[in-house]
Amino acid sequence: MNNKNELLSRLLLAWEETYKKGQLTLWIFLALKDGKKYVEEIKNFIEDKSNHTMTCEIQSLYRNLRKFQHLGIVDFETGEGKKGPDRKYYFLTELGVELLNKFIERNINIFFNNQIKNLIINKKV
Amino acid sequence: MKLISKNLLIFSGILFFLTVVFRYFLSSMLQNHLFNEAWMLSIIYGIIVFISGWIFGKKDKWHLPLYDIGFRFHLATYLICNSLAEIWHIAGFQSQYEKIKVVHITAIVWGIFLLIHFILYLLTRKNAIEGIKKTEIFE
Repeated sequence: MNNKNELLSRLLLAWEETYKKGQLTLWIFLALKDGKKYVEEIKNFIEDKSNHTMTCEIQSLYRNLRKFQHLGIVDFETGEGKKGPDRKYYFLTELGVELLNKFIERNINIFFNNQIKNLIINKKV
Repeated sequence: MKLISKNLLIFSGILFFLTVVFRYFLSSMLQNHLFNEAWMLSIIYGIIVFISGWIFGKKDKWHLPLYDIGFRFHLATYLICNSLAEIWHIAGFQSQYEKIKVVHITAIVWGIFLLIHFILYLLTRKNAIEGIKKTEIFE
């Protein structure tokens, strides 16, 4: 039994590790769809809303946001910080919103199909 | 594609400084018949330039992973090294053992490799969207 649990745990971690790699972009976009945010707010949104199953480094977020800004998916405007220098408030551009909507339509909405939804909710096989 | 970045500018500045210092000591050593020392100097210069390019290239890729297979750093190195060598001779700072012909041959041979590098970049850039490799956009 212990061996089975250990195997299950290792397999689950390995699957989650691979699964989460591609998830950060979706979480960043969802955070920005929720409203303009500065980097720390994006990080908090992702960690809170994912029940802390997703964690991300600030530097990694900045790197991704720079790439998205270069591609015209994301942009920012500077706003006053509570303390210290001005903050960059990031938001999705028109292209970014369209990209997210198309992605959700093609890859996320399929999980809301009744048959698939039931398979996800129902634990019995 | 965005051609100039902060890290490329810093690398170019360092390379410019190193090349001027290298040229000065190289000419002085050759003029004083210190040929072994000139070899040592050239090797050390080459290693330092390579390490600088490696460090700032890595930093540049981390900042924004532009897909150029190292071509921008190669081009900057080519332009700085060859133009400084040319200027060095035009200004008359060279030793009696340095010939302008060698500078021109170096520029031509190196230029052919640079051109091959550019062609390779053109052939492989279909793997990128707006200058960023497809697999690195949403990683």
